[in-house]
Amino acid sequence: MDEDKKFVQEYEIRGWDFTRAGEASCEIKNLLKDIGVPQDIIRRVAIAAYEAEMNVVMYAQKGKMRCQIDPERIKIVLEDEGPGIDNIERAMRDGFSTATPEMREMGFGAGMGLPNMKRNSDKFYIVSDVGRGTKLEMLFEL
Amino acid sequence: MQEQRHSIRFIEEKCIGCVTCLRACPTKAIRVINGKARVSYEKCIDCGECFRVCPHDAIASETTSYTDLEKFECTIALPSPVLYSQFGHDILPNQILLALKKIGFDYVFDEAWDCELTTDALQEYLDVTEGPFPKISLTCPVVVRLIATLYPNLIKNLVKLDVPRESAAKKFRQKAAASRGISSEKIGVVHLTPCPAKIISINHPVGTDKSHLDGAIAISDIYGRLLEALKDLEEDVILQLSSGVGIAWSISGGEIMGIRQENCLAVSGVQDVIQVLNDVEAGKMNDILFLELLICPDGCIGGSLTVENRHQARRKVRRLIKMFGEHTRVSREMVLRLYKEGYFDLQKEILPTPLKPLDLDRAKAIKKAKQREEILKRLPGKNCSACGAPDCRTLAEDVVLGQAAIDDCVFLSLKKINNTT
Repeated sequence: MDEDKKFVQEYEIRGWDFTRAGEASCEIKNLLKDIGVPQDIIRRVAIAAYEAEMNVVMYAQKGKMRCQIDPERIKIVLEDEGPGIDNIERAMRDGFSTATPEMREMGFGAGMGLPNMKRNSDKFYIVSDVGRGTKLEMLFEL
Repeated sequence: MQEQRHSIRFIEEKCIGCVTCLRACPTKAIRVINGKARVSYEKCIDCGECFRVCPHDAIASETTSYTDLEKFECTIALPSPVLYSQFGHDILPNQILLALKKIGFDYVFDEAWDCELTTDALQEYLDVTEGPFPKISLTCPVVVRLIATLYPNLIKNLVKLDVPRESAAKKFRQKAAASRGISSEKIGVVHLTPCPAKIISINHPVGTDKSHLDGAIAISDIYGRLLEALKDLEEDVILQLSSGVGIAWSISGGEIMGIRQENCLAVSGVQDVIQVLNDVEAGKMNDILFLELLICPDGCIGGSLTVENRHQARRKVRRLIKMFGEHTRVSREMVLRLYKEGYFDLQKEILPTPLKPLDLDRAKAIKKAKQREEILKRLPGKNCSACGAPDCRTLAEDVVLGQAAIDDCVFLSLKKINNTT
């Protein structure tokens, strides 16, 4: 891909920073509106990016969300330094959650995070290293 | 004429080019160019924040004047329930309605009653509607415009019931025409409004081809006449039909007060509404059935065309709710019959009107987004607005779009001057 056609924005996410939680995915959403991405794709990216961002806020010490956009696709990459996921297959199941009661009280932890990200993206990759962190990548074709 | 599409007008002679209005604008629609404020009407959502903050009286609202009514053979007043909160403690809704008759309206109807009807219709609608959730109220025309321009994905969430002022205007125009035996164009139906945005929903309605109202008179414009008329009323008829359920529509939380479904939420104030819409768009509020969103702080009593301060007004409304009760006076059978007849139906689908992207060509838009970031890095980030744009990011965008120059930044130009001398 011609570097000139690509636009990359990176956002820092801090674990347990609930006051700023959701800001990065909101900025990505506004960027996509400025670029004229179709509304339906914006909706899917907004939901998936928000879920991904909240996972970092709730579980990891810190992370980075990168949004890369070119005329053909949007790529969202999240890398965090956190506990990792020991059984990805199980985490991908609807309803599975490791959220604490406090998190649930705040409306999180319905156990739909990862499946929701997968459902809303065209391609979804996840790798995790227990005790070190998780990396996930979501692709949205334009 | 684009100007007519909006409820506010800038008065050039009075504008001194201060940046108060553009800093208050939630959609960043205003710039100061050559010392005068200019509004980009495609971004304006008619919230009236600029009108509210202008220290120089340089922004006027385009409401209907009382004398505009002279052209009609017969006039009907539909006061927003907010009107009931604008007078002293001892003045009750029926007196205010009688005072409206006294100052010359041929018919005066209690719009709060229609709010009460709509409350019941809304209950029915929420029982039968299918997603997407949350459903969002149509009551505030600014919220509808905000969603159509900035959150077009949420158009499907809007409730498909017409607002009380419209359904009431339609009904009473027909009734008056029949009882007077004149054609309906000869009847002028006006809403007495607490905010300038209602005039837009009348002149340029969404959800219908033509509004049933002929205009909207500012509560602040008619206030003096009403005060005079209230002095010696010869009270003879009962015009107030509503209970507290209808009167409550004037405050935030009022629309949901009367409905039995519990899973509802009321939010008011422009920044709070924007934050909630962001959360809805992120899928964070799917578990809520109904959202009442009002742009003015504390609801319609916080409208910029009111007279009483909104805290006093809220106290008055709460007192009226207690006085007239929280039990609806509307018959459920009647509402169900009207509902089935389509009395509450919106006549036209509300269409999204999203803002233009940086460029219609996606590759070019991406390039411009990139340039915007590069320019933003060169700017000082002080968001001082001295350049005429509300903040550095907006200036960067204007530069990319060819609507401003980077040297408009006073800090950068100062640096340049210092470097050359």
